[in-house]
Amino acid sequence: MSILKKIVTYRPSFTVRILTGLISMLILLSVCTFIGLADQTRLNVRANEFNARSIEVGAKVYFDQCARCHGVNGEGVEGLGPALASEHFVGRIELVRDNMQMQTIRVVQPSERLKQIGWQGTLRDYIIAVTEAGIPIKTSNMWDVTHPTFSERLGGPLRGDQIRNVADYIINYGLDPLPNDQALLPPAPGEGMAPRPTPIPLTPAQEAGREVYLAKGCSACHAIRGVGAQGAIGPNLSRMGAVAEERIASESYKNNLKDQPPATTGAEYIRQSILYPNAYIVAQCPQGPCQANLMPQNYEQQMTPEELNNLVDYLNALR
Amino acid sequence: MAIVGQKLVKQIQTTGLKATVAQRLDDAFTRFTAGLSWNDVRGILRGDPPAKPNPRVKPHTEGFWFHIRPTFYHEAVTTLYPTFRLGLLSALFFTFEIITGIFLMIFYTPSPTYAYGNMIDILTNVPFGKFMRDLHRLGAEAMVIVVTLHMVRTFVTGSYKKPRQFTWFTGVVLLGVTLFLSFSGYLLPWDQLAFWAVTIGTSMADAVPGIGPQLNLLLRGAPDIGAGGLLRFYLFHVVLFPLIGVIFVAVHYYKVVRFGISLPPEMEAVGEDTARKVPPEKRVNFLPDILTNELMYAGVAFAVLAVSCATWYSAPLEHHADPLVTPNHTVAPWYFYWLQGLLKIPHMIPFLPTSIAVEVDRFFANVFGLTPKVFWGVIVGPLMFAILFVVPYIDPNPSRRYGDRKIMLSLGALFAVAIIYLSLAGIPTGVPITGFGYVGGDPASEVGQAFIPDEGIGPVRRLPYEQYVVGKFAINAEPNTGSAGLDRLIRDIHNDMEARKVRPDPLGKTLSADATGSLEVKQIQADLRQVIITIDYTDVNGAPTQFKKYTFLHAQSGYAD
Ligand code: HEC
Ligand code: HEC
Ligand code: HEM
Repeated sequence: MSILKKIVTYRPSFTVRILTGLISMLILLSVCTFIGLADQTRLNVRANEFNARSIEVGAKVYFDQCARCHGVNGEGVEGLGPALASEHFVGRIELVRDNMQMQTIRVVQPSERLKQIGWQGTLRDYIIAVTEAGIPIKTSNMWDVTHPTFSERLGGPLRGDQIRNVADYIINYGLDPLPNDQALLPPAPGEGMAPRPTPIPLTPAQEAGREVYLAKGCSACHAIRGVGAQGAIGPNLSRMGAVAEERIASESYKNNLKDQPPATTGAEYIRQSILYPNAYIVAQCPQGPCQANLMPQNYEQQMTPEELNNLVDYLNALR
Repeated sequence: MAIVGQKLVKQIQTTGLKATVAQRLDDAFTRFTAGLSWNDVRGILRGDPPAKPNPRVKPHTEGFWFHIRPTFYHEAVTTLYPTFRLGLLSALFFTFEIITGIFLMIFYTPSPTYAYGNMIDILTNVPFGKFMRDLHRLGAEAMVIVVTLHMVRTFVTGSYKKPRQFTWFTGVVLLGVTLFLSFSGYLLPWDQLAFWAVTIGTSMADAVPGIGPQLNLLLRGAPDIGAGGLLRFYLFHVVLFPLIGVIFVAVHYYKVVRFGISLPPEMEAVGEDTARKVPPEKRVNFLPDILTNELMYAGVAFAVLAVSCATWYSAPLEHHADPLVTPNHTVAPWYFYWLQGLLKIPHMIPFLPTSIAVEVDRFFANVFGLTPKVFWGVIVGPLMFAILFVVPYIDPNPSRRYGDRKIMLSLGALFAVAIIYLSLAGIPTGVPITGFGYVGGDPASEVGQAFIPDEGIGPVRRLPYEQYVVGKFAINAEPNTGSAGLDRLIRDIHNDMEARKVRPDPLGKTLSADATGSLEVKQIQADLRQVIITIDYTDVNGAPTQFKKYTFLHAQSGYAD
């Protein structure tokens, strides 16, 4: 108690006051000097951090908004959108830092695409321009869609900062771009207006399968080039026949399949995917990792065996 | 001109050049200090006793700044007790906020299009920008604490009693100003934290019966917070509240000087006020003693702030505000937790049996349009604040002695306990033991929130990029990913899940015993990975369910430090 009393009735002497004040001022000054000395470097480090976080946010925007047309890896999607990760589009970049940690993007190889269309500005400006305003007219027959408008100002869903984030994300592909032969490149300006080659003719059963696909509302979640709505919840099925074969050969399928015998043919895989959607969850959907329980699990009750056969036959024909 | 020149020449002729310059400089110095010569000031700084008559009172009569301050204090109030210098500190923080605030103002545009970008610019492009922002933010929170403690001390020492009732009253206004200054500043960075805290706060205005929508419109400038709301909050923050603050500090301090700082209660006879009757031998002169004391406090306070900001403190900046995405567990700023806690009381009359309480609620809802939210948030909350205003006017006890004030001191303590309890209830984890105020979704989603919070950093983002290994790993007690850091993270998730399996949350929910999890790391781009936590469990209806949450992680994003 008496110690408390001592503290509480303490009155610092004149010398203590002056000294404490001076020492505090010295500390204050040294903190300011300390901050001032390395401030430029620290500002640069922080700028790099915010650029990195911008890429993280951009990735989310990309998966939410762009991946369904431009592919989850930026490889492009038949009929929906060209590759954005290709060397052709992003070129090749490298990050260089000076001794103050100031980071700049060095273009090792400029974008072919910008040269092709004669864009004078930077790649970033081009991405932002296209994303904000969209491309209101159809420029080629390669695409079934025209580019949506994304800027909030023009009635789209994205704010300016989100568009800058996604531009940062796309530019970051330049560190390790997709080789052009693994990507879906756009036609050069003026080309690609020729009518699209007619698709492989479907058998009557497959035609019937397509009707089932449309009638059962699959297109609310899935996309097939040129068929019905272009849903973006489940995987794109435009190449389902080929994809099914890739799936059954994959490690992921062997390791993660649950409660069902492994499919041995593409058709079996497709049938399994429709009847038991949770048996194997595909890794990537257009808007990020696929979710279980999203796809209805009662299609067996919703269609006749014949309808199911036709549907599987149809999806299997898409290559 | 000629006259001045003549005088100067004459002086130089009679006393010599050196003495003339010295005398003229001293003259200027004396005019600057409003009455103190160079030698007086040196005497002060050396701690010499004053000459007689004391020249050190001159600035108090001649100068503006010192005339605000008394010439001497009573010795008894110059120790730490009774004031603890909390009033002084409040004033210092207020000044400090104005200075740092002006610095930040230079780089800030109150518009949703630019505000967040401006914050990033301040952090990445403005020399001393982050330091100033941290100081301003920490100073604001410290000011809330200091002003509250100042109120607590004037309450405990009974200094609100006659004749200081109005001093207390203006003080309560200043407490309100402090809280609203902090709160209005909260919105300005335009990040998720700010946006949702303020959305919650202003939704209270919307709930006011009758005029709610109009009040809300007045505050936000539109039904939702947007460009109009941001501009209004900015103007509140930099014009309205500072103005009210300056005016009321002036009145408050005038009253303090007018009545003198109250002596420790035990030094006075009951009902007497002797603060201004200071016998000469008890006087402590303002110059130099009080002034040096205050400068010392200022120095220490600012040094502590600066060192804090240079070391452990960093003002948060979350993602850009997004009206479409409500982050999990949004909270008001901590000094409004108590209000948020009040809002969680489910019925208007808490201790009634539920069936009756529901009927009472229904009755009031039908007759007056009062729901529990309106009742607790719009009526009881503000009333709790308003009670502070009338404390001096309803306390009939003239004695300031602690022994005579058992009832009032107990009531004060009760009030403090209630505020603390409600504040705990205001945060998502709720009050320990009673669990009151807990909000939490499904246990699986709580695991997600604990490790990948919607806003803020959390363990997954804090683990450095290099310590992740690409692949998919089961969450179990003995992970073997090849990275010690990732193993530790997985073990932590495992422990968290196991804890949620056996220990029900305050709402009685547990994670199903069969729950299993996995953590997947994918390379998305060079330097960019995606970390996905998946939990398979059985929900309350017995259906197998899956919960997934992910985040992107860039090698340079610097969450770790
Ligand atoms: C509905 C499908 C669709 C969506 C969604 C979509 N795009 Fe596109 N995008 C296209 C098509 C089609 C083109 C080619 C248009 C043309 O050349 O006429 C294209 C072209 C582009 C180009 C120019 C590519 C080049 O090689 O010139 C950029 C950049 C781009 N998109 C960015 C985005 C971003 C960023 C998003 C997400 C915010 C996005 N797109 C979302 C369909 C889409
Ligand atoms: C509510 C949305 C939804 C609907 C409707 C839906 N699906 Fe799916 N589908 C998904 C999701 C999500 C996945 C990925 C997760 C999984 O594998 O279960 C998926 C996966 C698939 C796959 C596997 C794709 C692959 O790449 O391996 C096929 C095939 C498929 N669905 C076919 C259909 C068919 C046919 C219909 C209509 C009868 C349909 N889906 C209706 C959401 C849906
Ligand atoms: C910005 C906020 C405030 C400032 C700058 C401020 C400033 C001051 C100062 C400098 C004093 C002199 C005595 C001392 O240091 O304790 C004082 C006294 C006092 N203050 Fe405040 N104050 C503020 C808020 C408050 C609040 C919130 C209350 C109470 C609700 C309050 C009530 C009082 C009372 C009653 C006194 C007289 C104490 C006495 O004579 O012993 N003040 N104030």
